[in-house]
Amino acid sequence: MAGTLPTQAEDYPYLTFELTDGAKASVAVDGLTLNINGTTLTVGQETFTISNLTKMYFSETDETTGSADGIDEVKTDESLLDNAEIYDLKGRKVTRAQMQKGVYIVKTKERTYKIMVR
Amino acid sequence: MKKIYALLMTLGLTMTATGQTLNVRVGSVVYQFPADQTGEMTYTDGKKLTIMGRTFKLSDIDEMTVDASEVKNNLVKVEYGTSSAMVYVAGNVASYVLPVVTGGHVDIAQSNTAAVDDDEIIYQLSGSSADGSLTLSGSYKCTVSLAGVTLTNPDGAAINIANSKRIQISAKKGTTNSLTDGAEGAQKACIYSKGQIQLQGNGTLNVVGKSKHAIKSASYISIKNLTLNVTSAVSDGINCEEYLQVKSGVVTISGVGDDGIQCDLGGESSTGETEDHEDEDTGNIYVEGGTLTVTTTVAATKGIKAQGDLRISDGTLTVNTTGNGTYDSDDKDAKGCACLKTDANMVISGGQLTLKSTGTGGKCIKADGTMTVTGGIINATTTGGTYSYSSSKAQPKAIKIDGNMLVEGGSITATSSGHEAIETKGTLTVNDGTVYAFSSSDDAINASSHMYLKGGNVTGVSNANDGIDTNGNMYIEGGTIIACGSGEPECGLDAAERYKLYIKGGTVLGIGGGNNTVTSTSGSQCVLSTTGSPTAGTTVSVKNGSTTLATFTVPTGYSPKSGGGGMGGPGGMRPGGGQSGSTKFSYLLSCPGLTSGTNYTVTIGSSSSSCRAATSYSGR
Repeated sequence: MAGTLPTQAEDYPYLTFELTDGAKASVAVDGLTLNINGTTLTVGQETFTISNLTKMYFSETDETTGSADGIDEVKTDESLLDNAEIYDLKGRKVTRAQMQKGVYIVKTKERTYKIMVR
Repeated sequence: MKKIYALLMTLGLTMTATGQTLNVRVGSVVYQFPADQTGEMTYTDGKKLTIMGRTFKLSDIDEMTVDASEVKNNLVKVEYGTSSAMVYVAGNVASYVLPVVTGGHVDIAQSNTAAVDDDEIIYQLSGSSADGSLTLSGSYKCTVSLAGVTLTNPDGAAINIANSKRIQISAKKGTTNSLTDGAEGAQKACIYSKGQIQLQGNGTLNVVGKSKHAIKSASYISIKNLTLNVTSAVSDGINCEEYLQVKSGVVTISGVGDDGIQCDLGGESSTGETEDHEDEDTGNIYVEGGTLTVTTTVAATKGIKAQGDLRISDGTLTVNTTGNGTYDSDDKDAKGCACLKTDANMVISGGQLTLKSTGTGGKCIKADGTMTVTGGIINATTTGGTYSYSSSKAQPKAIKIDGNMLVEGGSITATSSGHEAIETKGTLTVNDGTVYAFSSSDDAINASSHMYLKGGNVTGVSNANDGIDTNGNMYIEGGTIIACGSGEPECGLDAAERYKLYIKGGTVLGIGGGNNTVTSTSGSQCVLSTTGSPTAGTTVSVKNGSTTLATFTVPTGYSPKSGGGGMGGPGGMRPGGGQSGSTKFSYLLSCPGLTSGTNYTVTIGSSSSSCRAATSYSGR
C-alpha cells in the first residue's frame, strides 16, 4: 500500500497581521495576494508599513482589533482621519464632510483599514 | 503527531494537506506553507520574515499569495521548462532546502542531518529542458523522484549528487524519463552520485552518457523494479564501487564504449560480504532477479564485470559481446571480450543466463578465481577465433576459470568454435547438475588439474580434440559421463601423461580416436571396450543377456575428424584393435553391475559385439 493521503486541513479563512502597537488586522485569504513595495506590504485592500508589523498568522476568525468584522469604530479620536484618504465602499474618494453613516476605507501612510460611522 | 506519521509511513502513505497555502516566491523558487503548519510568521526589523524556520529577506520576495494549493510534506517539486525551471518547496522542509535556479539548472543545497517529520526529503522532477540539470548537495539521504522528466545538460551531468548518503532515484509508475549529459563536460556520468544510488520505481528511465559513464556512483548501486535503458555511453553503462545489486526490474544496456556494467572495490581491501550488505565494500555484483540484457560491441569490453565476486541467484540475463580482441599495452597482454568477468569468484545458484561472444578471443564467462554452480540455466556460446598480437594470444572459450570449478546443480551448455568450451586452470568437480560442452576445434572440457566427476550428467563433445581432458588425474565416481573426442590421437576420456584415469562408479561412455588407460584401484568399477563408428544419434547399449545395464545416445553434433580407432581392450588385451585412418573409433564403457571377466553385449546402432569386463583398460 502506498500513496498520498489527502488530509482536510483546518480552515483558516483569514490571515491576521499584528502590529507593533498590538493592533490586529485580519484579511480574508480567498484569492489573496500580498505585495511588498519598498517599505509597505499591501494585502488585499490593507496596506501596512512593514516596520510596524510584528507577525502574521492564519486565523479561523477575523481578529481585527475593535470589531469582529474588521471595522474599527471611531468614537472620539477623529485625529485618526488626519492626513488620511477616505473612500466609500464603491471606491469613491470622499471628504470628512461627506461622510454619512456607513462603512469607509481609510488609507494612511501606516495602514489601510475600515471604519464605521454611526 | 509523530505517531500519526509513523502510522502513515507504515502504510506507505504520505500526507498531503489541502486548505489554505501561503506561497512565497523568491525568483524561480516558491515556498509553500500550509496554513495549518505556519503558526506565527514573524517580521523582524521591517526587513525579514520568518516562516516555519525559514527566514526570507523581504527584499528578495517577489510575490506572496494565498491559495488552495496542495502541499505534500517533504516534497520539493522541480518543474523544468524549455530553458527554465520552477522549484516548489514544501513548507516543512523550507528551512532545510536552499535552491538556486539558473535557467534550467537547479542547484539545491540540503542542510538537514536527520529525518524531517520522520521522513526524508523527496525531489520530484518533471517537465522537459534541453539545457537543464539537477545538482544536489547535503549530508542526509534523500529521494529523487522522476515524474516524467526529460533533461539534457549540454555542459555537464543531468543529475549530479554531491551528497554522499544514500540516494533513491525512483521513476514514478507510468512515467518515462530521459536523461542526457553533455559531451563537452568533465562529469563522470550523466547520473553521478557521490553516495549510494538505489535505482527503483515502476517507471522507465532512459540514460545517455556522452562524456563518460551513463550512471556512476562512488558507492554502491542497487536496482529494483525499474525499467532502465542505457542506450549510449562513452564508457560504462553502469559503473559503481563497493557492490552492485540487481533485485528486480528490466535493465537494458547497449551502445557503450566500454563495459556494460562494472563494479570495483571502493577501498584498498574487501570487507567481505556483510549482513544486508551493511557497510560492504567487496566489488561484488549480485544479480538476484529481474531481466538484464547487456550488449557490447567494442574490442575487449565486458558485459558485466566485477572486481569482486559475481553472484547470480535469479533473474534472466542475456549478454552479448561482439567486439574482437585487442592488445592491452598497459598489461602487455592480448585481451578479448567477456560476457561475464570477475576478478574473483563466480557463483551461480539460479537464473537463466544466455551468453554469446562472437569476436576474436571472446569468452562468455571468465573468472580469475573459482566458479561454483549450484543452480540456474547457463547457455554460453563463443564463435570467434583466436586473437593474436605478436606472441600474445586471446583465445575464445565459452567458460574459462583460472581457479577451481565446482558444479553441484543447474545446467550448463557451453559451445565454442575456437577453443575449449569449458576450461578450468584448477580442478573440475561435478557433484550434480548437467554439463554439456561442445567444441569444434579444441577440447570440449579441459581441467589443468585433477577432475572429479561424482554425479550429474556431464557431456563433452569435441570434433577436433578430446571430449573430456584433464591435465591431472581423472576420478569418475558417479553420474552419467559421455565424452566424445576426435580421431586419433585425440580421446573421448583423456588424462595427461603421468596421470591416471580411475573409474569407481557412474555410467560412462568414451568415444574417440582412443581413450585413456583406466587404472585399477580399490573399488574400481569394471569397464568394457570396443570399436564402432562415431555417428551422432546412434544408440549405444550394454546388456547382460536380455538385461540392459546402460543405454547412451551419441550426442547430436558429434562429427569428429576421422582418425584412429580403439587402442586396446580390457586388461590390455586390445580386442578392439585400432585402425588408424579408419572410421572405427574407440568405445570405452562402464556402468554399475559389471563383473570382471564376464562378457557383455555392447550394441552400437545395429552392430553388436561381446566384450569382456575388466577393472582396468590399456588405452593409448
